[in-house]
Parts: sequence; C-alpha cells; structure tokens
Amino acid sequence: MRAAPLFMATLCGCVIDPLVFKSKAERRNLDCYRLPEAEAAARFPGQVPPPPAKEIAGPTTDVLVCSKRYLEPDERKARDEAILSSLSQQVNELTESAGALAPPGARWHVDAFYPSAPVAQKIAVAARTTLAERGLVVSDRVPLLAAGDVSVLAAMLPTEAYPTGCARAFATDVLSGDDVFLALMIVDPKETLLHGGLCVRGGWRWLP
Amino acid sequence: MTRALALLSCALPLAVLADEKADLRDRQLELLRAEVAGEVQHQAAELLDELVYGWTQKPPFDVDTAVVLAGVSVPVSLGTGLEAYLENHVAGLLTKNRATHVQLVHCPACSAWVVHSGAKGTVVSRGFDDPESLTQAGVASGSKHALFLDFEAEGSSLVLRARVTTLDKTLAIVAARTLTTATSAPAMLRDGERLTSVAEARKQYLEALGGRGLFLVPVRFGVRSFGPGTQTSFNATPFLWVSVGLEAAFSQARAWTASINAGFSWLLQSHVAVMAQGRLARLLSGSTTSLTWPDLYGFVGAGVMFAQGRGVLVFRNTNPTIDEIFNLNTNNEPRTTLGILTIGLELRVKNRISLIGFLETLPALETTDNIGNVLDLGFIRFQSFGVEVSFCF
Repeated sequence: MRAAPLFMATLCGCVIDPLVFKSKAERRNLDCYRLPEAEAAARFPGQVPPPPAKEIAGPTTDVLVCSKRYLEPDERKARDEAILSSLSQQVNELTESAGALAPPGARWHVDAFYPSAPVAQKIAVAARTTLAERGLVVSDRVPLLAAGDVSVLAAMLPTEAYPTGCARAFATDVLSGDDVFLALMIVDPKETLLHGGLCVRGGWRWLP
Repeated sequence: MTRALALLSCALPLAVLADEKADLRDRQLELLRAEVAGEVQHQAAELLDELVYGWTQKPPFDVDTAVVLAGVSVPVSLGTGLEAYLENHVAGLLTKNRATHVQLVHCPACSAWVVHSGAKGTVVSRGFDDPESLTQAGVASGSKHALFLDFEAEGSSLVLRARVTTLDKTLAIVAARTLTTATSAPAMLRDGERLTSVAEARKQYLEALGGRGLFLVPVRFGVRSFGPGTQTSFNATPFLWVSVGLEAAFSQARAWTASINAGFSWLLQSHVAVMAQGRLARLLSGSTTSLTWPDLYGFVGAGVMFAQGRGVLVFRNTNPTIDEIFNLNTNNEPRTTLGILTIGLELRVKNRISLIGFLETLPALETTDNIGNVLDLGFIRFQSFGVEVSFCF
C-alpha cells in the first residue's frame, strides 16, 4: 500500500536519489520535507549515513525525505480527497474560531453537512475530538429536527437554511440555552473548503 | 618487514569491504522493515499501541471501568477487513494492559440499528447513539461508556481520533485524543504484551539492528557432578569447566542454533581434562527471540572428554586400589576417554548472558558401579548433571 520513505541527499550523493526515476504523476503523490543530515541519519540508520564529524558542528547537508500518500489520487473522489487531506488543519482553524465565539461552560454539539455521509461523519468526529481535547464540554449527541422541519429546510438555500434550522432547533427545545451547536459544511458542491457556523440560543453566526 | 606491510595492505581493503557489506545489509534490512512497517495496517496498529500506552501512563478512569467498543472506522475507501483487524488489536491491547482501567465488554445490540418510537416521533439509530432505547429494550450491556476509534488518511499521515463517551442521555465525551503518525517514520511494531514508549521501542530496534549477527562466541563457566557409586564410597570429584566456542544461528529469529565448544578442567592433584562438544538448540519460548524477555532453549549435544589424573580412577569398571590412589608417579597417571550425550535447557537474556542446566549420559560408564545414576528414565540413564553460566560475545 505505502512505499518506504524515499531519500535524496542534496550534496553528499551517498544515497541513491529515487525521485529521478519517478514520473510526474508519482511525484505528485509524494509528501516531502527536509531534515538535517545528522537527524536523518539518526532516524533512518542504514539508509542515511552519518555526517562527517566536522560537519556536525558546522554547516550541514539537508536530506529530503519523501513519503507516498496512503491512498492513490484516484482511490477517492477528488473533493473528498481534498477535504480529508486537510481535515485536521481545517477543523483546527474552524474550532478555534468557534471556541472564541461561544459562551464559556456551554455544552457543545457538532454535526457536519456534506454530500457523502462517511466523509461528513469524519468531519464531525474530527471537530468533536478537537473540541474535547481542548477541555470543552462536548456531547456526541446530534440535535435532530423533526422530519417536517428538515423537508422545509432542504428546499431553502444554504445561506437561509442554517440560520432557520438554528432558530427552529432552539424554538422546539432540541437545543437549550446551555447548548452550542457547531455545524461544518460545504456551501457550494464544487468547493473543497469547509465552512463553519455557530448556533447559540437560536442565533446563527457564520465563522470567519 | 616487507611481508608485514604487504599483508597489511591486503587486510585493509578487506576490512573496508566487510564494512561496506555490513552497511549495505543494514540499508537493505531497514528498507525492508520500513516497507512492511509503513503499511497502513501497521501504522494504524502503531497508533493504537501509542493510545493504549498513553492510557497506561495516564488512565482515562481512576478505577476499572466497563467500556463498549462502539465503533472502529477506517479511512474512507478502505475496507472492513481493516476494521476487524483493528478491533481485534485494540481488544488484545486492552486485555493485556490492565493499567488502562478500560475493561471491554460485549454489547452486540449497541452497534445494531434500533428503532425507537416515543412522544416526539420514531427514531432510527445505532444503539450507542440512543442509549435510552437500549435501556428500554433491556439489552444494555451494563457498561456506561463507549469507545469510538476513527482513523483517517490525511495525505501521508494517518490520524487516529479516539473518544470515550458516556452511555446516557447526554452522550458526553469524557476522554478524547488525537494521534498522528510521524511523517514517513515506519511503525515501531511494538509488543502488545508489554508496551513501551516509542523512544524505548526505537532503542530496542537499534540495539537489535546492531547486535543481530548470526554468529556468537559463548564463553561458559560450569560444573559437572557425577552420580555416587553404588558399591563404593569413593565418588567422582565434581569437574569445574571453562569452555569457549562458536555458535551459529540458522536465521535472524535464532529459533535454531548450533554450537561447538572446547572445554578445559583442572583440579590440583585430581585431574586435567579437555572436552569437545557440539550442541543443537531449539527456541522453546516462541518462534523468535525476544528483545525484552528471556528466551528458553532446549538442546541436545554430543561430545568427547579426555581426562588424566587420579581423579579419573572412578571412571572405570573396576574399583580403584590403594596403590592407584596413592600413586604419585605423574608418568603413570590413569587416563580415560569418554563419550557424552547431553540434553538440557538454556535460559538466555538478549543473546548475552545465559544460565544452562543439563543432564548427561556416559554410555561407557553404564555398567560401572563407581558412577551411579542421577536420573533413570528406564530407556536412558543419566550419570552426570551440571550447570553453566554463559557469556556471549
């Protein structure tokens, strides 16, 4: 499934550079970063030779470490891949913004709205876990509106549906005054950037 | 002088070649290991190892708590086979590491879809998402907590998000942790029986990489005692032995090893003895040697011992006479050559130090009254037993 890390020592030439033999498509499927040679030698013994003693104190050579992505580009839909590849980063940013806007001591509920149910579940779980790790009170329970409400909301534009749904949840006691609801979603079917909205006491606010 | 220089000039390139060969072998071994350990199932198992190791250091509960393994979800587009593997792996880890205070309980209904009709309508959900319905149906497991494990592949990183929720109306998350594989670092493939930190596991691996040669030089210090005679009060003196040899393993697992060694024994005014012996050993405590636990080997061997001196008078079929016992003529000392068959057990720590116990049968002495049996199994009789301490280099 996943190949071993590939190495390229920029100067010493001690390690064979496997990138030379890769096609463009294969190179696009790599995640690469640089390491000082001494650190690379410690992390990958036998593959990266230790630098000469005189170089340890002085200027060192970089080693480029590349890893293949776990899943090939065509194994998931392009939009799903784009969202999932940056899931941690996007969710961290959105939950950080949301945390700053919510009243302290609130009980958090999170749900994600995305065309693919498995991906939506991943987004919601990532947000819940991130919030809980920050020490906030988070519930795994997803607030559910009545079927009639959902059918009306489904016919509305997203910019109207979420604020309306938030107000309706508060009005029908699905959410209480102590609850905060964080929704993560894509607004346009073609976009790969997650948006977030916060529902507090029936009031909806899009996250910056 | 010229000859010495010539020899040196030949030996130096050979030494360099040997070093390069060892480096090449190291590189190939590391690449092979990284290829295997980099596979997604091993990386996922590594994250579970780290999660459970973290819980052994900082348990999520103060006391033993029943928890339902509510769900394991794998990266989108990967199959349920991986889910089953990871479920088994985490269950094994939690069973072996009681310090986590997480006790898994079985609750098939918790992951089943249930239909619950109430005043607010009919809800279709999984059991652990709607604990009230489980309680009303009387199929609750007795657990008040559920564990969810979610894996996702984010580029070249695999991320584990673990959360423990209460199984009540609030479904509150009481513990959560996100773990990510270090980019490009292969899994440490830790032993679930006794989890260690990543740093310790790495150290063990490097030690194994450095000391994994197929050949060892064991130096053994031991003592052999012989069974007391049945018809005489003149017993054989225990022999103290020092031996050195060469041990070869058939593979890196060291499941089978073979060794030859030469021994020397001397006791003032008693005997001088030398021995050559070969042993074939099989690892009994597993299929491969352990980095953290002692290994137990069983072995069989055969050898030949030559001894000279008054102390070997008993290794004959006749009783020693007074003249023979007080004979001080070193040119006319009694001599004996004996064949030896050995069975024994060896407890070895990290291929460095071992404790050996063995029984020996000396076919040439089966009919003598001077040496008795230390163990008689009917079909085979052992006339000698001994212990050894071995240091391997």
